[in-house]
Amino acid sequence: MNEAFSLRRIFEGKWTQGAIPLVLLVALLLIIEIAAPGFLTGETVALLFANTAVLFILATGVTFAILLGGIDLSIQAVASLASVILAQLLPSLGLAAFPVAILSGFAFGTLSGIVHVKLRVPSFVATLATGGVVTGIALWVSDGRAITIEEGGRENTAWINATVAGLPVVVLISAVIGIASFLALRYTRFGRQAIAVGAGEPAAWAAGINVDRTKIIAFAASGMLAAIAGVVLAARLSSGSPVLANQLLLPAIAAVIVGGTAITGGLGGVARTAVGALIISIVRIGMTFVGVNIFLENMVFGAVLIAAVAITIDRSKIAVIK
Amino acid sequence: MTIHTEPLKSVSDIERTTLMTFLPGRIATMFGGRRWRSLAPLAVLVVLCLLIAIANPNFIELRNLVRLANSAAVPLTLAMGLTFIILMGSIDLSVEGTLSVSAMVVVLLAANDSNGNDYGWWAVLAAIVAGTAMGFVSGLVQTMLRIPSFMATLGMWFIGLGLSVYMLGGSAIRLNDASIRELALARFLGLPLAVWVATGAFLLAAVIQYHTKLGRHILAIGGDEDVAKLSGVNVVRVRVTAFALAGFFFGIAGVLAAAQLGQSHAVIGDGRLFAAVTAVVVGGTALTGGEGGVVNTLIGVLIVTVLANGMILLGISPYIQQTVQGLMIIAAVALSLDRVRLRIVK
Repeated sequence: MNEAFSLRRIFEGKWTQGAIPLVLLVALLLIIEIAAPGFLTGETVALLFANTAVLFILATGVTFAILLGGIDLSIQAVASLASVILAQLLPSLGLAAFPVAILSGFAFGTLSGIVHVKLRVPSFVATLATGGVVTGIALWVSDGRAITIEEGGRENTAWINATVAGLPVVVLISAVIGIASFLALRYTRFGRQAIAVGAGEPAAWAAGINVDRTKIIAFAASGMLAAIAGVVLAARLSSGSPVLANQLLLPAIAAVIVGGTAITGGLGGVARTAVGALIISIVRIGMTFVGVNIFLENMVFGAVLIAAVAITIDRSKIAVIK
Repeated sequence: MTIHTEPLKSVSDIERTTLMTFLPGRIATMFGGRRWRSLAPLAVLVVLCLLIAIANPNFIELRNLVRLANSAAVPLTLAMGLTFIILMGSIDLSVEGTLSVSAMVVVLLAANDSNGNDYGWWAVLAAIVAGTAMGFVSGLVQTMLRIPSFMATLGMWFIGLGLSVYMLGGSAIRLNDASIRELALARFLGLPLAVWVATGAFLLAAVIQYHTKLGRHILAIGGDEDVAKLSGVNVVRVRVTAFALAGFFFGIAGVLAAAQLGQSHAVIGDGRLFAAVTAVVVGGTALTGGEGGVVNTLIGVLIVTVLANGMILLGISPYIQQTVQGLMIIAAVALSLDRVRLRIVK
């Protein structure tokens, strides 16, 4: 009895809660290494990081929205639109197509934020709707087709697919984004206010925080990061398409939650999201490595997802689980 | 105790009045407050119908109205189940997974072109049971493992999808049972049987919401879970039952979808989740729970279906349709949500 009690105390301790996702990550790596030796080689790990990059950038963006207690369901549409804009403009604008595509994400993220805050529409609905609007625009711009980035344009995207000192550039990009977001959340006024809003909006409001502005900035950041993810994805696949990122929305949100960020907001951060994104990615790649029947992959993924959340979620700070 | 609660209450009253100076509040008071707002979705529906009918009189032709009803059947049945979950303040993302499991079960157990089974209507029963079981598991996972419904049902979505794709072997399998196909093909009083099934689902949902203890308890949990618990509501049981009930409706919808398509395949559920959520929310049910109901959802489903039908009739480019639908959602929700009471919009 006594022993169980102390064990429970250890489990509920602050640092253990933060470490659980990390422990899960290591455990998953070991399980796959034992089941299929040869997984933990430098080459596969580099590939794993490179494949996680896009998911991580998307998930980092949505982390801002979730930390506020909201959600951003428009990231897949924004990422796809950015890929279409990049593919369309590369031949005429060259490298200048990159900032244009990324700014489109910033603009639509800001729009989501304004719709959410000023019209007082819940973020779930607001971003679902702006996602529809953005998808429509992407379909219209691309005429409903995938646009291949031709030889001429590929010169300008080659740098994304290159490696620097053995590390793929995409990994470096996501590392820079991850560190910048981490610092922004931890050391800037915006970051602290975002966490305060997520933890208790009335208190944040009463303390004089400009809640509306904080929310709009967070959604703008989410949109901009989604566009960066879309650009990276387009460069990697040498193509832009209005449905390019459609399969990435839910894995991105899952990455945030599996990492231990509370879906109710106010608790979590980018470091947790990095661990979560790696967990999602490892489960996906690991299933191929271990040789799970391809038709069963979704089933295993769903079960692992539930198990992972059940293990990693920090219940001590969530009053009611809805 | 009362001395302590008195000042608290007055503070929140002050907050409420300062909120009235915000723009939505002002618009709301201009139009007569809450009562007007609760009718907003209905007004949107009527205006939409009028506009489309003026632009293209074919809209009110009997043939088009039957087509309209037919395409609303599956979304309506799905949205009935989803309404109960959203009323609790939760969300069910497993709509597509559960629907595809149910469609898979009915196709594989009834006469089909892949195996020798021919269980007729027992297959339909089995499919609905399968849907209910999926919902039941979602409920158990959410309450017993204590994880948010968003993640519990996201996991169940993948599990359902994986299960049905695995059982179908990744291919499309035809449904050959004539009597089940009748659901989509045969007509009663001019309307396909699927429409009558969906109407039945609506009536059942309405009875459950307005005339049973379960319905009341679901609303109570959505309003304030702590208060519901203190009032003696068995929250865990109500939650699990509600998820099973939602699975039941998704199961029926799966049978209807399989009958309409005459087959089941991997992507039978694609796009149905967001369509259902949109319908529920546009109808005026709040995602925070405790507000709205199945009648709202009926109007929401009709708005979404009429809009889709109207855009085809008006020859709007299919690429822009999603954009229009997105703008419609924002407009409908901005008009109808009772946000004066909600200081916090998440």
